[in-house]
Amino acid sequence: MTIFKLVIRRSLMSVVTLLLVSLIIFSMLEVLPGDVASRILGRDATPETLEQLRTELGLDKPAPVRYLTWLGGLVTGDMGQSLVSSRPVEEILAPRIFNTVLLSAYAFLIYLPLTIIPALLQALNRDRSVDHAFSVVTLVLLSVPDFLLATILLLAFVVMLPLLPAISLVDQSSSAWEYLRAMTLPALTLAIVMAVYAVRMLRDNLIEVLDSDYIRMAELKGLSRRRVLLRHALPNALVPTLNVTALNLAYLVGGVVVVEKVFSYPGFGSLLVDSLQLRDLPVIEATVMISAFVYVVANLIADVAAILLNPRLRTG
Amino acid sequence: MIDAEPVISVEGLSVSYRQGAGFLRVVEDVSFAVAPGEVFGLVGESGCGKSTIALQMLGYRPPAMRTDAGAIKFEGRDLLDLDRAGLDRVRGARIAFVPQNPTTALNPGIRVGDQIDEILAAHGAGDSRVRVARTLDLFGLVGLPAKLDFLRRYPHQLSGGQQQRVCIAMALACDPAFVVLDEPTTGLDVTTQEQIVALLIDLRARLRMSMLYVTHDLGLLSQIADRVGVMYAGRMVEIAPTAELFTDPKHPYTRGLVGSIPRIEDRSGLPARPLRGLLQRHELPKGCPFAPRCDWATQECFEVRQELEPAGAAREVACWRWPEISVPPDARAVSQAPEIDHAETLLAIDNVSVIYGSGRNAFVALRDISLDIGKGETFALVGESGSGKSTLARAVAGLIAPAEGTIGLSGKPLTGLVRNRTPEERRLIQFVFQNPDASLNPRARIAKALSRPLEFFFGRSSEANVQAALADVRLDGKYAARFPDELSGGERQRVAIARGLVAEPSLLLCDEILSALDVSVQASILALLQRLKIERGIAMLFISHDLAVVRMLADRVCVLFRGDIMEIGRRDEVFSAPFHPYTHSLLEAVPTPLKPHPQRGASVEAAGTPSATGCAYAGRCAWQIGEICETERPPWRETGEGLRIRCHHSLEELTRRATWPNEPPTDTQDRRAMQ
Amino acid sequence: MSAETLSAPPGRSTSRWTSLPSLWRQTPLSFRIGLIVLVIHLLVAVTGPFWAPYGFSQMGTGRPLSGMSRVHPFGVDQLGRDIFSRVVHGSHIVILLSLSGTFLGLVVGAVLGLFSGYVGGWIDEIIQRFLEALISIPFLVLALIAIAAAGPELSGNPVLIVLVVALVYAPRIARMARSVAVDIATRDHVTVARLRGESAWSVMRRELLPNATSVLLVEFALRAGYAPVLIGSLGFLGFGLRPPTPEWGLMISENRALIIVTPITVLGPGLALASLVVGLNLFTEGLARILGRTVKLGVQ
Repeated sequence: MTIFKLVIRRSLMSVVTLLLVSLIIFSMLEVLPGDVASRILGRDATPETLEQLRTELGLDKPAPVRYLTWLGGLVTGDMGQSLVSSRPVEEILAPRIFNTVLLSAYAFLIYLPLTIIPALLQALNRDRSVDHAFSVVTLVLLSVPDFLLATILLLAFVVMLPLLPAISLVDQSSSAWEYLRAMTLPALTLAIVMAVYAVRMLRDNLIEVLDSDYIRMAELKGLSRRRVLLRHALPNALVPTLNVTALNLAYLVGGVVVVEKVFSYPGFGSLLVDSLQLRDLPVIEATVMISAFVYVVANLIADVAAILLNPRLRTG
Repeated sequence: MIDAEPVISVEGLSVSYRQGAGFLRVVEDVSFAVAPGEVFGLVGESGCGKSTIALQMLGYRPPAMRTDAGAIKFEGRDLLDLDRAGLDRVRGARIAFVPQNPTTALNPGIRVGDQIDEILAAHGAGDSRVRVARTLDLFGLVGLPAKLDFLRRYPHQLSGGQQQRVCIAMALACDPAFVVLDEPTTGLDVTTQEQIVALLIDLRARLRMSMLYVTHDLGLLSQIADRVGVMYAGRMVEIAPTAELFTDPKHPYTRGLVGSIPRIEDRSGLPARPLRGLLQRHELPKGCPFAPRCDWATQECFEVRQELEPAGAAREVACWRWPEISVPPDARAVSQAPEIDHAETLLAIDNVSVIYGSGRNAFVALRDISLDIGKGETFALVGESGSGKSTLARAVAGLIAPAEGTIGLSGKPLTGLVRNRTPEERRLIQFVFQNPDASLNPRARIAKALSRPLEFFFGRSSEANVQAALADVRLDGKYAARFPDELSGGERQRVAIARGLVAEPSLLLCDEILSALDVSVQASILALLQRLKIERGIAMLFISHDLAVVRMLADRVCVLFRGDIMEIGRRDEVFSAPFHPYTHSLLEAVPTPLKPHPQRGASVEAAGTPSATGCAYAGRCAWQIGEICETERPPWRETGEGLRIRCHHSLEELTRRATWPNEPPTDTQDRRAMQ
Repeated sequence: MSAETLSAPPGRSTSRWTSLPSLWRQTPLSFRIGLIVLVIHLLVAVTGPFWAPYGFSQMGTGRPLSGMSRVHPFGVDQLGRDIFSRVVHGSHIVILLSLSGTFLGLVVGAVLGLFSGYVGGWIDEIIQRFLEALISIPFLVLALIAIAAAGPELSGNPVLIVLVVALVYAPRIARMARSVAVDIATRDHVTVARLRGESAWSVMRRELLPNATSVLLVEFALRAGYAPVLIGSLGFLGFGLRPPTPEWGLMISENRALIIVTPITVLGPGLALASLVVGLNLFTEGLARILGRTVKLGVQ
């Protein structure tokens, strides 16, 4: 099968997955709970307000119709109106998404060297003290939940060494420098959590590559250690690394939820939590859908990249 | 012994491997030397330490390996003393390595031309133009297309044989003084194996290379090695010139090894009986490691270490009793089973075709196959990988349904898939698989593996049944309580056979059951099968690529190529002229001790897929007539004795062209030489 | 031709259960440390309520917002409650919820995955797509909407937490179980059983499951290791158990505002939570090593 077909097929699978995800999300939020309106308004709602909400949300229509209208809306960009602020959902989402993207990019920049350098050091010094030391450190850090890590970093850099702000509230009026200062702690938290996981995986992948037959053959050809590492080992460790990175992106989507909340950073994640607490249904649905979308796309990119990098598939 | 200064010499080498908390000695005080232009064969069974020695000659020391003692002298230096930089200068340039598995040894992401260019550049072979020219030369030398676009291919675009040629080209790139080959043909097809060996012989003659050729296949060494060193349990037990090793082995182990090789020529009265027992590493005595299995062992053998001592011109033996051992105590060899004629048909395969996939991707695995297996008959199905032999077995077993044709058991047609068959039908056909590791449930004890079929087919099973089943395959009763991972490959395969027999089937399907085993273990299982054949009268569909084994066991033989029958008939007929061209090339390709050099050009490397209409062997046949072979399906030619060959040539023509077997020496001369 | 019988080498099976001390010595270091930590946590969980100095909602135990002291190792919160006692009282909550949630997820996931992998075909395909969709929703997000979907009546109910944890884990465990089943199903000994005509159920029970146990065991330990983090995150965000339940995540969130004054009130429960997860992770890694498998510790 040509590479083109493979990529198309993989992309189609992602589309199917997304459709299923939308079905699941819709069912969980609108079908399962029974009477959505009373759920949203709570116990004290009067019958009139309930009726009003029902018509507003179109709850009198049968579920499949509602689902399809909602789905259609997602695709065209019309995600309804927030129940809390009556503003269009897209309007609320846009700046939040922007903030989170910025935060993620920043986190990624920190994460890359934080991952690659220790993993390389570990793989090259396998089973020696450097390797063991890093393993211990990563294990401990891995076991610290992200909200705890965030809180500790807050303690360290805000309370003890007052370098950074405790609250990362930014908006359009903030300057770039303020943005940077606000984002640093959350980005650092995210970066550490991602790096700790990735270092372990990258180390194992590098070691696996270093143990393979063609590496031994390269050494037996009389190639220098540097050449073996750079020309033979590293490129072949690239694909599994991509996999890890995709998984990390996936983590990011979930991780921002907690981290943004800790630092009160006005991003996508804190929007989700807030809308859940306020029971703002349209916003909840839209944000959850977007997080799943990001996850699926991240995996798709990683898989496609793996296909493209595989010489077997490239040449057939 | 050796007149000239040796190219490389190993002195007192001892190597250990880390195992758990301690170390296991895998090479014990090994010494030998290789003369310039000489090919030294290093032979022994799995675990004897030969691959370890091969790697040590390149100074390769993984962290788990520890050199305890010894030196390897090469060009004035001790290789074991060199640091990484020093080794980098020697490897590839002065000593080269040809790996066992070329598919994994080549970096899948780098083009083949670049992988050669890399070694040239690393050892200073000039600028890129010079290197490309040299790469093209090397490719031509090893029989690969010397074209630029071939250089740009990736390893997965080459066949196994071509990949190995690339590895050989890499080894020769910098004109090394010494080449180490670690089982270079083990993973290849029989015919490809023959081609690579022929290439190596040719190169050795042209370039006067010194080589260390490591293999477990003693027969192979007869073609290429000048001297052979035999290893057992990490020690060198005998060194001798090749021909003498085969005609006059002195060490008891060597005798057993030579005796274990199934003979394809019709010979009986071998110099020794095959090996018995197993290497039990935990029970190695202080003295000679072979003592527990040796027919001539005395108390002293168990206690006193044996060292290599001279035993004639250019010969060394590590056994103090060698002068006394001349006549084997009981020279009953693994001989051929007598041919039995079987009248009643048990299994009838009529016009069976099996197709994988559909539409454009349809692959015809079996094309219109018809054959019969008689009651109690051993029917051998021979072919290389891709011939469809496994597919046929799976169709008979009911794992695949034929697209066309019928399979009948004792007259009644068998339903295609096993789940539609009756329990009785399922019981009567039993399958033994190739790989003993995977065919036993690792979490079930042997007793369970054997009792389950009994319960399932007969409703009950007892400990006595299990013990009897084990005894049938000559395993001690204590095996019942063990788990599969406590058994060796040969033992597991016996259990698999016992499991098949326990259901009391009328047909046993054996799919390459010996291929994954060491040669001495093969011999003992072969003997077991021969005995079972006679005792139980059970029919067998025996699939193998190894003609020598087939010769020992089969009543009738069928040769398959790419899904089509090439030749079918009684054993003795198939193994004598006239031959189908493919059968002939297979026979030619079998290395035997008494055939020093194989015929080259017996078959041409295949090109493309076979035509759907012509002969399946067209395009690869060395005796191809021409167009007719591609377009027209050959007719059946039948001899008076019932041998059938599918070929456009006449039987007389085929008989005329046959050059196998080689001129046999006269009987009496040969017998004496073997004593 | 010899007609001799091979005698069996000394078996391993007899010497399997010689002595506990020697068995202990053979286990990897990570396993031992992890086990010790877990045992300590278990002991605290079980016996804690009996020796904790104060009750978990007992107020007026000391000066509010006072820091670390001998009487109050983890300080006192603004309501006057002793944080150390609260941590001790709360330890059984986290452990119980984590283990039961993971176990439920394991059972559901393993059955689904093994079945799907063995059966194959279009049933497998459909189940796969469905599982993949569930996995595409990030852990925490899925947990949050599940809690939201459950409605206000159930909020704060520990059973809900258990179900949510199971919901989040089951698809992932199912995926692992499926790939194991696919792997084992191709092995020859399974083919042998099929050729005999054994029923699908019988094959799954005898050939698949025993060979999958080590994988599933490791998978259980792995997921159980992350469960406290998940539960803690839910508690932290306010979607878990309700106050005054001394759930550690909730406590960290409650005391966060005090971090400038008494950081120990946050670090105390934090240390408890982190040490539990460290113990679980070490145990998992050691267990994997014993069973001859590799494991990827971490979020996904």
